[in-house]
Amino acid sequence: MAGELASPAASRRPTGGGSSRRIAALRLLRRRLIQAVPLMLGVVVINFCLIQMAPGSFLELMTAENQVSDPATIELLRKTYGLDDPVWLQLVKYIWALVQFDFGFSYRQNRPVIDAISDHLPATLLLMVSSITLALAVGVAAGVVASMKVRTFWDSLVSVAAMFFFAAPGFWLGIMLIVLFSVKLGWLPVGGMMTIGGVGGGATGAGGVLDVLHHLILPTLALGLFYAAIYTRVMRSSMLEVAQLDFVRTARAKGLSRNQVTIGHVLRNALLPVVTILGVQMGTVLAGSVVIESVFSWPGVGSLLFDSVSSRNYPVVLGIMVLGSLVVIAANIAVDLVYMWLDPRIEIR
Amino acid sequence: MGNDRNRVTRRAFGGGVFSAGVVVSSLAGIAPSFAQGAPKRGGTLVATWGGGEPQACYVPAGGGSSPTFSSSKLFERLAKRAMDGKFEGVLAESWKPSADFKTYTLKIRKGVKFHDGKDMTVDDVVFSIGEIWKKYAAAAAMTDFAGVEAPDADTVVVKYNTPTPEFFFSSALCGIVSYVVPKHIYAGSDPVTNPANNAPIGTGPWKFKEWVRGSHFEYVKNENYWQKDLPYMDRLIIRYVRDPAGRAAAMEAGDIQIGVFNPVAPPDIKRLTGTGKFVATPKGYEESVWSTTLECNMRNPVFAKREVRQAMFHAIDRSFIAKTVYYGYARPGTSPIYSPNTAFFTADTYKTGFDPKKAAALLDAAGYPKKADGKRFTVNLLAAGWFTENGKIGAYVKQALEDAGVGVNLSVPDRPTSIKRIYTDYDYDMAISNQANPSEPIPSTTQYFTTDGIKKGVPFRNANGYSNPEVDALVEKIKVETDPAKRRELVFQFQKIITVEAPLLPLVEIESITVASTRVQNHSNDPNYLAASWADIWLAS
Repeated sequence: MAGELASPAASRRPTGGGSSRRIAALRLLRRRLIQAVPLMLGVVVINFCLIQMAPGSFLELMTAENQVSDPATIELLRKTYGLDDPVWLQLVKYIWALVQFDFGFSYRQNRPVIDAISDHLPATLLLMVSSITLALAVGVAAGVVASMKVRTFWDSLVSVAAMFFFAAPGFWLGIMLIVLFSVKLGWLPVGGMMTIGGVGGGATGAGGVLDVLHHLILPTLALGLFYAAIYTRVMRSSMLEVAQLDFVRTARAKGLSRNQVTIGHVLRNALLPVVTILGVQMGTVLAGSVVIESVFSWPGVGSLLFDSVSSRNYPVVLGIMVLGSLVVIAANIAVDLVYMWLDPRIEIR
Repeated sequence: MGNDRNRVTRRAFGGGVFSAGVVVSSLAGIAPSFAQGAPKRGGTLVATWGGGEPQACYVPAGGGSSPTFSSSKLFERLAKRAMDGKFEGVLAESWKPSADFKTYTLKIRKGVKFHDGKDMTVDDVVFSIGEIWKKYAAAAAMTDFAGVEAPDADTVVVKYNTPTPEFFFSSALCGIVSYVVPKHIYAGSDPVTNPANNAPIGTGPWKFKEWVRGSHFEYVKNENYWQKDLPYMDRLIIRYVRDPAGRAAAMEAGDIQIGVFNPVAPPDIKRLTGTGKFVATPKGYEESVWSTTLECNMRNPVFAKREVRQAMFHAIDRSFIAKTVYYGYARPGTSPIYSPNTAFFTADTYKTGFDPKKAAALLDAAGYPKKADGKRFTVNLLAAGWFTENGKIGAYVKQALEDAGVGVNLSVPDRPTSIKRIYTDYDYDMAISNQANPSEPIPSTTQYFTTDGIKKGVPFRNANGYSNPEVDALVEKIKVETDPAKRRELVFQFQKIITVEAPLLPLVEIESITVASTRVQNHSNDPNYLAASWADIWLAS
């Protein structure tokens, strides 16, 4: 979506005041929301078809687990769950239900899909937000340091670290972090989202928040450092590129200090590629959380999705896909708005 | 009652059993930790198992090992098997058959209360047997069930249409999910969708407190438990950790004190026990021995010949599988009745041991000599992907059969696909699968071989299409033979026929393990410990 924004160079119209920018932002928001409708429809149709193409169904698993031996009972269950309908009719029924904000019913878990997902979604969102925050903070800071200390020991150190965290598989990094910080040093919990079964279990209020944050550290590192490595490399090159532009030279000629030039002029413009990547990577962060959640027993949608795919629990899988897509779309809209804020010259086409 | 020395659990496919799937057999120097001194009261025990979170805390029809693990601490059965093989009353104080073995009379324990404070009565037992067991929990084993009634406030009478062996009936009382459920909660509702399944109210030593989905169950001590002074501990946490390495780390860090059903990978077993802070034991699984099986689809005319089926097993080195794939934590299987089943297992059967020359001779005799390309014929081998070991075994079996001149197209589909291809589509020539058969062979073991076990689309039955009137007649006799010695002999005959016919045989018998902190006392003291109540477990200081 960010790609549809006109580049600063392409934009020649003078920017308006705060009011006109708010109007432009609202227009952007409206346009993006309208565009989201066919996008969501595509997500639903494609995922529905992919799931239908997978062999096996939750009904077969259910009968296996429950030792159902009567073929008549199995046929009755098939009708009860609407599996005897043609696939196209199942799809139409599903879309119609979605329009009414009905995500369906998880027969495996015997509860509405939205309830099943909403139990897990906050944990995943928390992990995503903390990981992205860490990645941005570390990536931007390290990229700035590397660019300011280019071709020095610090630049090399940052580059090596970035390469390491970029190359290290998330699950391996997670296990190594657990071994070091949990098993050997005993500083941080092995997994889970809160202390259970021990002192502090069930803590509420500030204690509970601190407990969750304590548990959040390792999964955030395992998920966020990979993206921090990417942002570091992008930020470094972007900083070096922007530093060569005329307006930076002008700023220096005006007598501004190095830090003033870097922070006030180079950094803000160099952030644009990072923001672009951030929007694009929202989906992969969500996917990456599936692995990290498994390693750290983080009770997010990752484990729910894994179980649901394994058990062909279609309603839950589709529900997660739809809600996940909504999160990614919302994040991209936010990125577009951040774009406008970072560079006032940017105009929405 | 009480004379039989075998095991009774119903077969339960481990729906969530996708752990490392590895087990310990020869755990020299590694022993379970049993009670030492007076039990220490209070405290919290955190437990885990080698699988994932259940779909519901209690699934009336079973639902696999995960809901069995979670529900068995809250509900109780009428009876249980002890480690010595004897049946013991739990919510039933005693039971005895009529002279014709068509009626069983049970005396129900008094003074038992459900967690909501209501008394457990014979009405609850009648409801559980008639409405839950018959329709869901034990449907396959109750085909000859004729009815249940309560003639007075202490007695329940169960009737059958045919003579029912005492071992069979006692086994049914101990069924894995043959719980006594509260009638006042389940009557008039669909038991499968009853909301109480996610916050069960039972009579067990533990009361449901909370389910944090994706994380853990929290149970608290049942202060009104009918067994005085139990449970010893105040709180039981069942925590779910998907990754075996994560479980090992959590145990090592002290976050989890006990893990049942293969919680960690074999290298971690040695590492953890090597610290001196943990013990590992294969005890507690005598009632739920798992096996890895190889089955031949009779619909392929090649396998309609008995010699070909025998040759397949002779071409495979089961010891190699046990040592290499299971790290030595399994043993070669020989019979559809597993060797720990002391009531019904016999070693006096046809041996399909590793013998490549015999395999080649059998294939030649069956009319499948090696062709110019060195192949006799080609088969599609499906290794069910619900256990990672199955794929490794599939790779070995492919090599072994190719050495015997049999071309193999190996596929390792995931669990839903495997179930569909084997039991609905019959889309395989040979399949590597798994079973966890109980001691009572009817129907869990026999339904893989009888003609009435051929039910398209019904999983874990006779998918191979094997039909033998002699076997069918024999199984019908086993069903109604009430003399234990004669029944045992009939089961021996069954094994002899099946091992010769070889439509399906175990490649290896797997042993499961429990890993526990040395602080944990009184564990692994039930022949199906995963499904036990854990009332007497405690933590030493």
